[in-house]
Order: sequence, then C-alpha cells, then structure tokens
Amino acid sequence: MSPTDVLNELGKHDILSTDQQAKLADYERARLFSVHWELRSMLYLGILLVSSGLGLLVYDHFDQIGHTALLVAIAAGCVASYGFAWRYRPKWTTAQTQSRSTFGDYALILACLLFLTLEGYAQYQYNLFGTRYGLATLLPALLFLPLAYRFDHRGVVGMGLTALISWVGVTVRPLELYFKTNFFNQKTVFSAILLSLVLIGVAFLLKQRRVKAHFTDTYLTIASNLLMVALLGGLFNFDEWRIGFAFGLLSACLMLDQYARREQSFLFLLMSVVYGYIGVTYLFYHYIHPQGDTAYYWYFILTGIGVVYYLISQLPKRDTPHESL
Amino acid sequence: MKAYNEQWIYNREIVGQAERWYQKQMLTDAQITAVRRAYPVNFRQTNGFLEIGLFLFTTVAILACYLLPASVYSTLFSDQITYGVFNIAFGAGVGLVGRWLINRRLFYRNGVDNAFVVMLTGFLAFGANQFLPNGLSVATHCLFTLPLLLIVLWYYGDTLIAFFTIAVFYAFVFDGLLKFSWGNEVLPFVMMAVSGLLYLLARKPDFILSQPTIRSSYYTDPLNLAQWLSLIVLAASGNYFMVRELNRLLLKPRPQLAPEIMWPGLFWFLTFAIPTLYLWQGLQKKDRMLIILGVLSWIGAVITFHEYKALVPLNTALTIGGLTLIGIAVGGIQLLRSPKNGFMDAPDDDSPDEFFIHTETIAAIQAAAGTHPDAKHGVRFGGGDFGGGGSEGKY
Repeated sequence: MSPTDVLNELGKHDILSTDQQAKLADYERARLFSVHWELRSMLYLGILLVSSGLGLLVYDHFDQIGHTALLVAIAAGCVASYGFAWRYRPKWTTAQTQSRSTFGDYALILACLLFLTLEGYAQYQYNLFGTRYGLATLLPALLFLPLAYRFDHRGVVGMGLTALISWVGVTVRPLELYFKTNFFNQKTVFSAILLSLVLIGVAFLLKQRRVKAHFTDTYLTIASNLLMVALLGGLFNFDEWRIGFAFGLLSACLMLDQYARREQSFLFLLMSVVYGYIGVTYLFYHYIHPQGDTAYYWYFILTGIGVVYYLISQLPKRDTPHESL
Repeated sequence: MKAYNEQWIYNREIVGQAERWYQKQMLTDAQITAVRRAYPVNFRQTNGFLEIGLFLFTTVAILACYLLPASVYSTLFSDQITYGVFNIAFGAGVGLVGRWLINRRLFYRNGVDNAFVVMLTGFLAFGANQFLPNGLSVATHCLFTLPLLLIVLWYYGDTLIAFFTIAVFYAFVFDGLLKFSWGNEVLPFVMMAVSGLLYLLARKPDFILSQPTIRSSYYTDPLNLAQWLSLIVLAASGNYFMVRELNRLLLKPRPQLAPEIMWPGLFWFLTFAIPTLYLWQGLQKKDRMLIILGVLSWIGAVITFHEYKALVPLNTALTIGGLTLIGIAVGGIQLLRSPKNGFMDAPDDDSPDEFFIHTETIAAIQAAAGTHPDAKHGVRFGGGDFGGGGSEGKY
C-alpha cells in the first residue's frame, strides 16, 4: 500500500484537511531515498574483507615478504587508523556519544582488527608471548574495552568481551552458533562461570552509575550466554556437582527472566526459557528416565503447552475488548 | 472468510503510515488519535524474540501430540494408506485447533499461529503424498503438493508457507526439466524466465487478486518474499559459477572438475549483466531490494571471476576487494553528504536501525574471534579425568 493510497483513504474519512493532504502528498513526492545503512553495511563488509585478506596474507606469505616490512606495514595501518579515530574522538562523557567524523567508528574497528592481525603475526613469527598464551587474548581485552568506552563503540565492546572470554579458554563465534570449547574440563567451566558473573556484576554496576548505560545489553547478552552454556556444560558432565549446577541454572534463569520483564527486553526472556527448558529436560531424562516412550511424549506435550502459555502471558498488553478467554 | 481479519490487517498498514507521518510532526495528536479510532487493529501485540520462543515450543508440543498416538498404536504405521489417513486427520485437527486459537486469542503472527499453520501444512502434505504410488518423481510429488500449499497460502497469508510454496514450485520446475535429455542445457534459461515471471506477478498482484488495496495488504509479506526469492534465483541462474558447478553435479558419472559449459560467453555476460541491470534499475527507481541484490550479486560476480580467472592469490583478492568496497562506501558517503538526485546519506524512518546495531556487534565479534590467536595452542596431553560411566581414574 503506497502513501498515496493512505492519503486517499484518510481523505475519505475527513481526518485530513485538503491543505494537509496536499502538503503530505508534496512531502512524499519530494522525499529523499536514504542509502545510509547500505553504505555502512558496505563499509563494514569492506573492513572485514581487508582484515581477512591481511590475515591470510600474513600466514600465507610470511616466508616471502620481509617479516619486518610486513610487520611495519600492518602496524602503520593500525596506528594510522587509531590516529584517525582519535583525531575525531567524541568529547568524553558517560552518556552516549558519537564520533565527530562519519568514519571515526569504522576507523576504530579497522584499527582493532589490524591490531589482532598484528598480534597474531607477532606471536606466530616471534613467539612474542612465549608459552603465556593467555596474554595473547588478555592484551586485546585490556586495550579494546577502554577504547570502547572512550570512543563509545558497541562493536568494540563486543570484541573486547570476546577477547576476555577467550582468555578463560572459551571460543565464541556467534555466526557458528556454538561455543567451540572444552566444557568437559572442570576448570574451564568454573572459569567461564566466574568470568560471566563478574561481567554481569560489572554491567549492572556501570548501569547503576550511568556509565555508558547503553552498553549494558551487550554485556548481558554475551555474559549471560556464556553463563548459561557453562552451567549446562557442568550439568551434563560433572555428576558430583550436578545439584549445584542445577541450582545455579535455576538462579540464572530467574535472574534473566526478572531482568527481561523489568526492562521489557525479550531476548533475555527467550534465553531464560530455552536454556532453562534444556536443563529441566536433561534432569527429567537423567533422574526420572521413565520406561517406554509415552511418558516422554506427555512430558513434551505438557511442558510445551506450559511454556507457550507462559510466553503468551508475557506478550505486550494491548487494549483488546474483542479477545475472549 | 480467511484466517485473519482482513480489515484489521488493512487498518494496520494505514495506522503504520499515519504514525510515520506523526513522527515527522505532520499530523497532530488529535489526528493520530482519530486515525487509530477509525482504523482499529485488535490483534494481540507481538515481539520478535517471544515469537521465536512461541513458535519453538508450540512446535514441540504439536510434534509430541503427534508422536504420542503413533507410539501407542503402532498399527498406524502398518501401511501407507493408514499412515496417510492418520497424518491427514492429525493435520486437520491441528488446523482446527489453530483456527480456534487465532479467533479466541486474536493471534496474528505471534509464533503460535505460525507454528500451527506450518504443522498443519506439513502433516496434510505428508499424508496426502502417502496416497501416491511409490517410485514417482520429485516433480510429480511437488506438483501434487502445490495446490494444497496455494490454498493454505491463500487462507493464511503466512510468509513461511510462501517460502515453502515457492521452493516446491522451483523444485517442480527443476526436477521436471531433468526428465528431458535437453533439460540440462535449457535449465538456466527456464529458471530465469520463470523467475522473471514470478517477479512480475509479485510486483503486480492485481493480476491474481481482486480488490487490490484491501486484499493485497493480506499478502504484503508473501509478495515481498516472492520478489526477493525470484530475483535471487534469477541472478543465480545466470551466474557462470552456479551454472557450471550445477552442471557438474547433475552429470553422471560426476566429474572431479566441472567441465566447460555450452555458451560460456553468454553466461559470463549474464554473470555481470544481471547485477548491473539490478543496480541500474534499483538506482533509477529507488528500489531498495534491487540496489541490495545488485550490490550482492555484483560481489558474487567478482567472486565467480576470481574462481576461474584468478589474477592474484585469495589473500590479495580479499584485501583488494575489501579496499574497493571501503572506497565505494566512503566515496558514496562523502558524495551524498548533501542529497543528490533524490538520494541522501542521512538515515530515514525506513532504516532498520536496531537490526543494524545488532548486526554490527555480531560482525565485529565474528571477525575478532576469527583473528584471535588460539589460547589453547600449547595444549598438553595427559592429566585428564574420566567422569561417570564405568571407568574411573587418571590415565
């Protein structure tokens, strides 16, 4: 349905005066076509390709190109990008701000990606960190998180948190939709749980103090997923701790559910319900392990309907006199 | 007559447009209130994430309801006819319950109703196909199933059903052509022609619908989806890489390397001409869909060229390609700082802000994770414990 159709329709109901109809028609006719997001998507795609290309270049050709020359070139690109971002940095504030240049945010993310390439190359070629592999992931975290706050860049917050999570041995690649992590290792599971709790605590503390409060959801999305997956990993793999993990999972789900409803942020409600359902289903299987399939089907019927009913009750309210129960 | 209240769907679009004008302060408070009163929309509200959860768990419950009698009465699987009747009966039951819920709870794409529609269609289609004799071709099954899908699509206007309908239609055309000895060679051209026709029909729904304004509102999303899919298939059907690799997959015995295809020059031309046409028409008509698909299919064309005529190694190609995209984007942003020829860089109310913000974060994380040195690079063997099971202790 075009705006013209709507104009005609509203005109028929006398909601709009003739003058106003003409004015709106002129507005729609003269309206400019925005390609804002298309251009920025293209810019992002370009940055990702350059980063990937240079990454491959490093590992494919380090024998043929002079090591120092390559290192210097990438470092120069990295410094230049930081320099550009810094030159147009926003004035410091705890509220939300933007770079004073259209390209400042993109220069910053390119700088961060080049830094990772640089660090990877230095480790690969010069064994910069020796056997202290944790430092290779901790360093980007310590660099990116302050930068994210200084430049107010949500994407760089995500990169910093990802680096921090890698530091405890968890690999996070959202587009692959799984954690490539050894959750059979108790130390990794407890490290992941501890880190996620710290991050959640930090997120709420910063939110309470209104320091870049708009970053809170990024923290919570990443840290909560980490927490939930770690708790499920523990639930599945460590018999002696199962009750503890079950209780932890229950607490985490209740916390997420409460936050979701208070903030009307339904991603967290979905996380709470799905992860909780997986945990409960595992416990049902493990402890009840009924004979025959019938009980399983009844379990899924009753719990499925129950969850659906609960989620329906969370749908945003609207004045609906026509609805009957 | 249809599953959802058509008037409310129509009203929803009017109110949506009015609200956009209201946000631009071109309508007064009184006027927007009058619009909302004159055009009531009484569907239950929704939220994207809740929709996902509702769809997921409704599907779980329905499938469990299906499997319960199947496990108790194993005779339901005894022969194809009985199995077919059971599936159709169950599908009809799902349809009735879904319809009842839609009417009582005023659902409209809340996830629950979508799950019921998809399950209904799945069971009916599966059940009906049990009545066909064994050994029939994929094309025959697709053709047999299409009328059912079209009826469900007409009744519900569901986007997922639209996707399945289009997929089944394309599968019918594709598999049907392979029956002929010359099918392989004409396949790309038929797919392009069919896609072109589908796109035209989706752009001008008046050909197949009466009362265009109120009824086309019911099918806005399916028609949009049909446009996207037909344009994608059209571009893919003319792409040299797709044609050559698909030809290899269809040959028997399958060769290790894809042999040269007939009319290679024509397909190289189409590989670049179709994206150019999309981009040109997209910019000319200010059509966002054509602009986006034009850029993406141009990228696909360049990737295709690199695949067969690699002038530089992959790492260099990626870097050059990335720099080119950055250059075009930066140039475009600079050029459109002040609007030109009806285009501007400033975001408007059509822009999907929130989606982009999430995409930005995910893209950054994905890229960063891919670049990270592996923290477990120096993993050492030994020292592990076995947990649970029969054995215990260190190894």
